[in-house]
Amino acid sequence: MKLRSDHWLAYGMILPVVAAVLAFVVGPTYDVTTLSFTRFIMGQDRGFGGLVNFEALASDPQFATVLTNTGIWILGGTVLCVLLGMTVAVYLARDSKLTTFLRAIILLPWILPDVVTAMAWKWMLHGQVGIIGQTVTDLGLTERTISFLGDPDLVMWMLVAVVVWRKMPLVALILCAAIRSVPQEHYEAARLDGANSWQQFRFVVLPHISFSLTAVTVISMIWITAEFTLPWVMTGGGPANSSQIMATYIYQQSFQFFNWGVGSAMSVVNLVVLVMIVSLYLYVVRRSWRSGAAK
Amino acid sequence: MNGRKFLSEALLALFGTVVALYVLFPIFWLILASFKSSGELAQLPVSFWPSEPTLVAYTDLFVSSSQSSQLLNWPQLIANSFIVAVSSTVLVLFFGGIAGYAFARLSFPGRDLILGGLLISRMFQGAALLLPTYRLMNAIGLQDSLLGLILLYSAFGLPFATWIIASGLREIPVELEESAMIDGANRLQSMVMIVLPLATPALITAAMWHFVGAWSEFAFASILIESNASKTVTIGLASFVDYFSLEFNRVGAAASIVAMPILVIFFFGQRYFTRGLLQGAVKG
Repeated sequence: MKLRSDHWLAYGMILPVVAAVLAFVVGPTYDVTTLSFTRFIMGQDRGFGGLVNFEALASDPQFATVLTNTGIWILGGTVLCVLLGMTVAVYLARDSKLTTFLRAIILLPWILPDVVTAMAWKWMLHGQVGIIGQTVTDLGLTERTISFLGDPDLVMWMLVAVVVWRKMPLVALILCAAIRSVPQEHYEAARLDGANSWQQFRFVVLPHISFSLTAVTVISMIWITAEFTLPWVMTGGGPANSSQIMATYIYQQSFQFFNWGVGSAMSVVNLVVLVMIVSLYLYVVRRSWRSGAAK
Repeated sequence: MNGRKFLSEALLALFGTVVALYVLFPIFWLILASFKSSGELAQLPVSFWPSEPTLVAYTDLFVSSSQSSQLLNWPQLIANSFIVAVSSTVLVLFFGGIAGYAFARLSFPGRDLILGGLLISRMFQGAALLLPTYRLMNAIGLQDSLLGLILLYSAFGLPFATWIIASGLREIPVELEESAMIDGANRLQSMVMIVLPLATPALITAAMWHFVGAWSEFAFASILIESNASKTVTIGLASFVDYFSLEFNRVGAAASIVAMPILVIFFFGQRYFTRGLLQGAVKG
């Protein structure tokens, strides 16, 4: 194809954006991949090392914990986000003063800086003077205040609960918009056929919003995989590495232990997970991209 | 209203109230803590309302004479965060606006593929890039500098801003521009005189989203910035760890300050915000 001068004008106009992404996303991705195949001795680059860093990563006793925790983090977070988001969305789709108010404020957790969210919840979950522990004790459920973030069996689920608080609102709002786009006639037809509320939801609403539901599920996975600040500021991977996930482990190895070999190997594992989820996303939304991006 | 209907309405209202509390309480509780004294915070049982509301936590952060040595210089942190967020927003609007125009109005080989690729690149801006970004910034001598943060945040924010602006421009009828060009305007004139005013809502949306992201960013700032003079508010907030429960009134005050510009944007710019959301959040 022969390029017209118009084309060169267009390429010139998009050049800064493309260059920025090449320099700060594509370049670093390449760099960290190269790094993961480099042998480091005492922090010194000692040339190509094959899979040594990946072997070191796999033989780290923490590695299994990190994988399990990341599984709980991504899958637990996504499932709860979507289930809770769906429940709230069904409610928000109704017309009332309260739902109008809620639709206006529900995004607050989503837009708040994640360091602020981390501090707010760390305070509420505090082992001695936290309001949640106090309430649980007042209700007579436990004798002593639970140390929510200090208990290795609980801490991961507490982090999941907080990331759900942060990400659920947008899931709810997107699903709410989808539910509200169901034409009224469909409900009426179902009611004439004698469908109860559950059947209306199951056979009218659900098929109509299935695309939004699938897309938002995969997107929640991407959001939660990308979230680093929340777990890092709340627990730093502790206590005793019991809430270490891929993102916090990368930080710990690279910037606290200066173990660039293992840090970069884990970064590559993290990138592979992201590529898989993003591929799933592209597969799910292939129709809307093909028709939508060009319009 | 019969009994059954009344019961279901009451249950729905109860559910809505629970959701509202769930969303608002953590924010409310944080703000309340900032008005308590540190003595009150250490007392059991936990008090709900501040027994003697005080602004001491805020003055601790701002009045240097009362500062203990472990506190960072908060006026400086706030200034740094504003410099970074505002400068990168300006850069993103300028370059994103130009690129957005090209994606919306010109046709060239690979257009949709490039735009899609830009958007997908956003999904990889996470923990996996921390180490190579640290190396890159050290290699070009921009570690520990606000300029480095400005460039990095602009690069991270450009794809989404470009996309928001391109979507906004596609809604403007191309005939408006064509008629201006028939009247003798060149492309640049028609861009500035016709398109720019109509594209303002999209530009505001892009600016808000970018400002919020840049103001809130913590991970990359925390690995790149070392000197106290270049720290941002998120680093300052995260650095309260040692005496966490004893000085939580200060944490609450600092967190309220960090949240403030975001809350202002959220409440006053909601129209623009939701617009960007429905258009674009689903694109990652």
